[in-house]
Amino acid sequence: MGNCFKRSTTDDISLLRGTDSVRETSSDPVGPPSYQEALSVQSTPPLYHPSPSVTRSVTQLTEEEQIKIAKRIGLIQHLPTGKYDGCKKIRECVICMGEFMVGDALRYLPCMHTYHVTCIDDWLMRSLTCPSCMEPVDAALLTSYETN
Amino acid sequence: MSEPQSALLLRKQLAELNKNPVEGFSAGLIDDNDIYRWEVLIIGPPDTLYEGGFFKCHLYFPKEYPLRPPKMKFVTEIWHPNIDKNGDVCISILHEPGDDKFGYEKASERWLPVHTVETILISVISMLADPNDESPANVDAAKEWREAYTEFKRKVARCVRKSQEQEEC
Repeated sequence: MGNCFKRSTTDDISLLRGTDSVRETSSDPVGPPSYQEALSVQSTPPLYHPSPSVTRSVTQLTEEEQIKIAKRIGLIQHLPTGKYDGCKKIRECVICMGEFMVGDALRYLPCMHTYHVTCIDDWLMRSLTCPSCMEPVDAALLTSYETN
Repeated sequence: MSEPQSALLLRKQLAELNKNPVEGFSAGLIDDNDIYRWEVLIIGPPDTLYEGGFFKCHLYFPKEYPLRPPKMKFVTEIWHPNIDKNGDVCISILHEPGDDKFGYEKASERWLPVHTVETILISVISMLADPNDESPANVDAAKEWREAYTEFKRKVARCVRKSQEQEEC
């Protein structure tokens, strides 16, 4: 009943992304990973993690979990992204241990730690903390709003 | 054929550990064809009760690594408050962040996707030196460690001896 995640398509993504003009196409790598899984495996419904150790198909989420995940997706979408420009200060994504290549899609957390969008979004969909400094991303984001 | 990210990441770590071994343990695979199952030999840390022992452990990585932690098991018999009698290691960094209200309570002590075989082993080796009796996996060992230290030492010494004999054959 009223499962707002049901049959996620690119249309749904565009709705969640709002009017962000930076993102050119709906198939760019910026966005919650679960949707990408959904895009690459069209036949199976996307999987979500209401808590880190729980994996559930989109059709099996309780209403409470749907709200939780929707909030989380909204929050992740508010974190700035960019493309790696070869800057020497940051070189490696500590999640995949891969060096950043010019043009890689990056996401910047409020604590200023930077990761590949695909690497960090997968993690944030499970736990809203920075893997490097353990700072809770949601609290940090709210603080940065208040100070602005 | 492209490999999943988890396999690539583990392969990278294995190559790095082979090239630049870390003091205190040596790492390899249980089966060369399965990158998700590792065999590690921990050398009992100096100046601890486990000094001189050789403890074989297995690490089982999930396909979702590094988003989810591996499980770790001592194959060699060991007596320690945080290792249960089946050898399963109970250490907070191998636990996923719980489903507490905010989702990040004590996140620093829980699993993080930046953990590697090396950081896990460093934690386990430090656990050998310094047991945490707040959350014992082996209640009897924890009780002995607190209340009957001589007996605890005796049991550990027996495990160390046994582990040396196993290494020889």
